[in-house]
Amino acid sequence: MTSFEVLPVGLRERVLAASRDARQTGTPIPQVAEISPTEGLRRAADSLHSLLCTLTNDEWRTPVLRDLDVQGLIGHLIGVEEDVRRSLLGDPDVRDVDHVESTQAFAEQQVGRPAALTCADWRAAVDRTIASVDAAGDLDADLALHRMRLTLGELLVVRAFELWIHENDVRNATGRPPSVPDAPTLRLMTGLATGLLPQAAAGTALPGPIDVRLVLTGPGGGTWDLTVGDEPAVPSRRDVITRSRLRIVTDAVGFCRLAGNRVSPADLDVNVTGDAQLAAGVLAGVSSLALD
Amino acid sequence: MAASSPLLALGRRDNFADVKAAEAGDALTIACLAAGDDDALADAFDRFGPSVYRAAMNVLGQGSAAQDVVQDVFVDLWSHPERFDPAAGTLRGFLVLLARRRSVDILRSELRRIARQERHHRLVPTPRPPSPCEQVTDADAANAVRTAVSMLPEGQRRVVELAYFQGLSCREVARIAGIPEGTAKSRLRLARAKLESALDRQLLESW
Repeated sequence: MTSFEVLPVGLRERVLAASRDARQTGTPIPQVAEISPTEGLRRAADSLHSLLCTLTNDEWRTPVLRDLDVQGLIGHLIGVEEDVRRSLLGDPDVRDVDHVESTQAFAEQQVGRPAALTCADWRAAVDRTIASVDAAGDLDADLALHRMRLTLGELLVVRAFELWIHENDVRNATGRPPSVPDAPTLRLMTGLATGLLPQAAAGTALPGPIDVRLVLTGPGGGTWDLTVGDEPAVPSRRDVITRSRLRIVTDAVGFCRLAGNRVSPADLDVNVTGDAQLAAGVLAGVSSLALD
Repeated sequence: MAASSPLLALGRRDNFADVKAAEAGDALTIACLAAGDDDALADAFDRFGPSVYRAAMNVLGQGSAAQDVVQDVFVDLWSHPERFDPAAGTLRGFLVLLARRRSVDILRSELRRIARQERHHRLVPTPRPPSPCEQVTDADAANAVRTAVSMLPEGQRRVVELAYFQGLSCREVARIAGIPEGTAKSRLRLARAKLESALDRQLLESW
């Protein structure tokens, strides 16, 4: 073996350290412009509104989700905005209500109404939410809504997430190609979903703790190091030795579709380093983030 | 014919499959690097580091310069993963090419530095110790100057000693000699003319 085939001792560490000095781990390239959660919601609303404006009367009647047609789905979104309004006013009755049950009446009220009115009412409701938030200001304020405990900023991203998911439900139902949020909005969504993942995974009885490196590729992506899974009640010697480490790589849009429960973990294009079963459990935790 | 050999054909298919797999792996590596995953960088170093180092050593030979090239190549990959174009070849080929180019740049720069140094030495020869003959000549010249200065009138000799031997300005000479500055200047001018004349004569006499 010549000296050319053996790397000098310490070169690997030196190269990796110099690289990390040049660019911080987890920072995506190209860097994405940061937008506020309010702006993310506004953009998601604009995108859905643009789609609704192109629908024919027949398409408004197309079955899309559960027992809802497109108009009923938009009625459901009007109901959600009403619950958000009440939550912002501190109404305790919306804290623990079910997301679907609470809004069903609004969905049913749309039957027989002109679609344009439904569309206008929904848009006005979203604009009212945005105006209320602009007035309230504190995005770090804690809120309780639909059994979720979130900050106002997180709630707005959840709203943007839901509008994008339902926009694609409508697109799918009416034979239109799927849409992808712009990178800044997608980055808000991936940040939210990864932030909530440890909490969501806690409900899936994953044997933990598991160190997960989540690599979301493409625009809006990034790298996150998370710890998920339940700590063993009584740590045994084996638990200490076998603390698991997973690296899960998938694209940011697919990950958000998984978080919206619009693709199953089995159908997600994913690259796993580590225990495949544990990875499946983590991905199941991601899909459990969805509200409906 | 060799071309119709099923084994060769099978080999070709395998190579093609390897290339496709490498391309898919490269695309994943670049996507992960762009996402800021330093595990992907460590993996890329483990896979391609030896090839990159070899490419640098082939140009630069032994020494730390080849290690610097390896560092530059991987820092560049980490900082600008988007510069790799999968359509243009494999990631290994891209990194090896970067290493060669960087090494050649360093080599050229080093050659230019050496050439500059040699040119400088040629144009400005290093001072050498005077020969015995030159030492005698220098001593003769010093004696000649001393003799010429001693023959100057007192006032002129004083300003010459202050200005030339002690390196003082005209103003300082005037102050120390207790004369106006204009007088100091005119005495220096006269003394210089006399010295030039005396030294020329001495030199002529020494021939």
